[in-house]
Amino acid sequence: MELSTILPAPVQPVWDRDDERRKRAALKPYMELVSAQAIAPPYGQRRGWVPRNVTDYGDGGAFPEIHVAQYPLEMGRKKNSSSNALAVQLDADGKVKYDVLARQGHSKDKIVYSKLSDLLPVEVVAENDPSLEKPSQEEVEDTTEKTRQALMRLTNSKIAAAMPVRAAEKLGPAQFIRYTPSQQGAAFNSGAKQRIIRLVEAQVDPMEPPRFKINKKIPRGPPSPPAPVLHSPTRRVTVKEQKEWKIPPCISNWKNAKGYTVPLDKRLAADGRGLQQLHINENFAKLAEALYIADRKAREAVETRAQLEKKLAQKEKEAKEEHLRQLAQKARDERAGIKVPGAGHSKNMDDEEQERELLRQDRHKERARERNLARAAPDKRSKLQRERERDISEQVALGMPARGVSSNETQFDSRLFGQAKGLGQGYGDDEAYNVYDKPWRDGGSMANHLYRPNKNIDKEAYGGEELEQAIKTNRFVPDKEFGGTDRSGAARSGPVQFEKEEDPFGLDQFLSQAKRASKRKEPEKRDDRDKKKRRD
Amino acid sequence: MTEDVQRHSVHTLVFRSLKRSHDMFLSNQSLLPPIDEAAEKIRRAVKARDSYGLVFDDVKKMQAMKNLRDTEAGPNPPPPGTGDQETNQAHDMAVVPFTDNSVTNRFQQTQQNQLATMIKKTPTMPKPKWHPPWKLYRVIAGHLGWVRCVAVEPGNEWFATGAADRIIKIWDLASGQLKVSLTGHVSTVRGLAVSARHPYLFSCGEDRQVKCWDLEYNKVIRHYHGHLSAVYSLALHPTIDVLLTAGRDSTARVWDMRTKANIHTLTGHTHTVAKVVAQASEPQVITGSHDTTIRLWDLAAGKSICTLTNHKKSVRDVVLHPTLNMFASGSPDNIKQWKCPDGKFIQNLSGHNAILNCLGVNAEGVLVSGGDNGTLHFWDWRTGYNFQRLQAPVQPGSMDSEAGIFSMVFDNSGSRLITTEADKTIKIYKEDETATEETHPINWKPDILKRRKF
Repeated sequence: MELSTILPAPVQPVWDRDDERRKRAALKPYMELVSAQAIAPPYGQRRGWVPRNVTDYGDGGAFPEIHVAQYPLEMGRKKNSSSNALAVQLDADGKVKYDVLARQGHSKDKIVYSKLSDLLPVEVVAENDPSLEKPSQEEVEDTTEKTRQALMRLTNSKIAAAMPVRAAEKLGPAQFIRYTPSQQGAAFNSGAKQRIIRLVEAQVDPMEPPRFKINKKIPRGPPSPPAPVLHSPTRRVTVKEQKEWKIPPCISNWKNAKGYTVPLDKRLAADGRGLQQLHINENFAKLAEALYIADRKAREAVETRAQLEKKLAQKEKEAKEEHLRQLAQKARDERAGIKVPGAGHSKNMDDEEQERELLRQDRHKERARERNLARAAPDKRSKLQRERERDISEQVALGMPARGVSSNETQFDSRLFGQAKGLGQGYGDDEAYNVYDKPWRDGGSMANHLYRPNKNIDKEAYGGEELEQAIKTNRFVPDKEFGGTDRSGAARSGPVQFEKEEDPFGLDQFLSQAKRASKRKEPEKRDDRDKKKRRD
Repeated sequence: MTEDVQRHSVHTLVFRSLKRSHDMFLSNQSLLPPIDEAAEKIRRAVKARDSYGLVFDDVKKMQAMKNLRDTEAGPNPPPPGTGDQETNQAHDMAVVPFTDNSVTNRFQQTQQNQLATMIKKTPTMPKPKWHPPWKLYRVIAGHLGWVRCVAVEPGNEWFATGAADRIIKIWDLASGQLKVSLTGHVSTVRGLAVSARHPYLFSCGEDRQVKCWDLEYNKVIRHYHGHLSAVYSLALHPTIDVLLTAGRDSTARVWDMRTKANIHTLTGHTHTVAKVVAQASEPQVITGSHDTTIRLWDLAAGKSICTLTNHKKSVRDVVLHPTLNMFASGSPDNIKQWKCPDGKFIQNLSGHNAILNCLGVNAEGVLVSGGDNGTLHFWDWRTGYNFQRLQAPVQPGSMDSEAGIFSMVFDNSGSRLITTEADKTIKIYKEDETATEETHPINWKPDILKRRKF
């Protein structure tokens, strides 16, 4: 029983030259060593023998009896023959294989068609000819698997470079090598006869950047040699064909800088105007018709109303004339002393009724005037009215010019004057507050309007004459005059003058007395204190 | 007066006669006349009676005995040697089995030989399959600009369109109702794709952006940043979570859907890449470019496997056949069909004289090509026979120059064709159900297949 059978197999591979040698010796059957040397056949048997290799010459020179160019020790042979001529090859029929020329430079498995027969169509074969069938499933699977493996290998290598992080490659197990140095002795190897070397793969840093520049553009290799051309040369292009190939220039519908003429049909076709079917909603027509009818009706109504009013006015006028005539008649009659029978009747008419009649006439007149105004300039009127009745704040906001005042005198912004003086002039320096130093509008006129009731607006509320009176009357006048004053003649010229007067209540005297008085006057002080207290 | 017959030389007349007879009999050249069943039966009966008249009755007797035995044996299967004889006899009571077999066998062999020789001799165009004509069935107007791209959802319930008004709109496929408008791009939306395995919609635009929309929230959740210019096309790999975009920077890019890593940049084209498509089998990526080439790519290595240079003009669309291992590419000179694993050239479909913007194929083998002038051509996929031509009517109000088909797609059932156009509309086509082969016959005559190269 050997020790090696008991022990487990070694984990680390061990290589020993002696073991190796022994093993090889055991494996190989013993063999005779025979030196195979190409030597020229002996004299007399050299017919048909041609020395080609260097070894054919042994150590000697050329064989003079063999009439072939010989190059012993490669002497005399042209080193680099620049000719790229190919050796002639024959095919099975003994014909020269010219397709070797076409195949030159291609790999073995490249298919190159170069014969005339490759140009000819093959005889039409039946549809179910076995040569036209697709390869079987197994074959397809086989090729697929092979290709897939090849592609996967490629892909993995391509991705590995792009992966940001990868695991460190697993190191192979360490190898142990027993090594016997050739130089033996105490001076060498510290006197050791043998050494055991532990061989470990160097660790590779997985994060190490590539050591070589890979972003350089590598020039492309020479292209593969061209394939033989298996078609006839192209025919010369005839004039007709050339004309057929003349493509008209592209012309935009919007720009035609070169001024090409576009046929009308093309223009229309490109436009597409004839294609669009215009479809208008019928409601448009309905609306238009309704509007037209309404307009006509309104016009008719207005016309009839106008006619009616005209008729009424006519009638009224006639009635008035009649009335005037009657009055005149009555007056004449009265003057003449003729008693009119209808006078008593007219007297009988109620006062109230008369008043109502008057009012009615007034209203009617007013309406007529308004109508006339409306007919004359409806838009202007409304504008005028609106502007008249516009509030002052609105006017300010809209920036409307003050009416009346500013119309005759032009207004200037004084800051715009004297611009030639430079930048500092306009608004003054920063400290100066002169932006709003003037009222926006002329003060007098505005002040007159501001906060003063508009006559026309408040007329109904307050009554015109009363308001006028109220404005005119000086309200802050005492209704009871001081004695001895004359207000009517109080028209003053110049400032109010005061007169020095005698002390009417003797106050001065009293005060001087108080200053002089002793401290006995306590109650007054207390009174003062009380006041203070109360105030506090 | 007699009719004035143009006089030809005898030589011309003889050759004309020859040509006419050649045309007449070309289709059934070196074929046996059709077999008349009755005559054949009589011939066999006569022959059998002539050579085996002596043993005829014995055979019949044997037959009767065998039948008896069979009924006695019940449902036990007969021994293997006797089976085919019995069936032959059941088919043809009057014929002795041995001769019958030999005759038919020889007949079949000769027929096969003749067929083989015929194919070798004259590669005539096969008769195209009849397809019902397609008609316009719905026009949806809703976009405010050119509608540049369309994609149908895998569940076939709705489809999405992207337009020059920078909006992606989602429409109900059955009713044509607008469901949702997605805004986010700042320039024309040029490519759309709906994932079959995620609730995601992918879009790309002329603003160099490639966006991933989450359709549960209708929000952008990822950007795939890297294109240097406008992105014109977008494709999803059907089995791997990988996104392919191609654009004006003449590259196609492969993106990992989840990590947004640009796995490969497929460089090699020298001009704008107009279209990129992806499929599960090799070649997994195909691009068509304005540099007139189509490239097939090895997706695993990110290298071009093959460059197809047969087109003379820019390739604007590439489309994969849904069932066959083929694809077609459209260019203003020709539509070309290719076989898939190595891009072998199959045939040309020529005749659509317009700038081809888009192609579409359905599982029934209807190939549709849409032009920049609004023409739609419908082709039979196998034979390349053009069975219908349509000019899409423009929306009233748009100019005649605004007829152009930018993209098209068949819905998942293959019964509706959705096209998006320059007149700002989306048009949906469907097959005409009332049409039959009699009402719309194929205007085709057998012609010697011209092996035209270009």
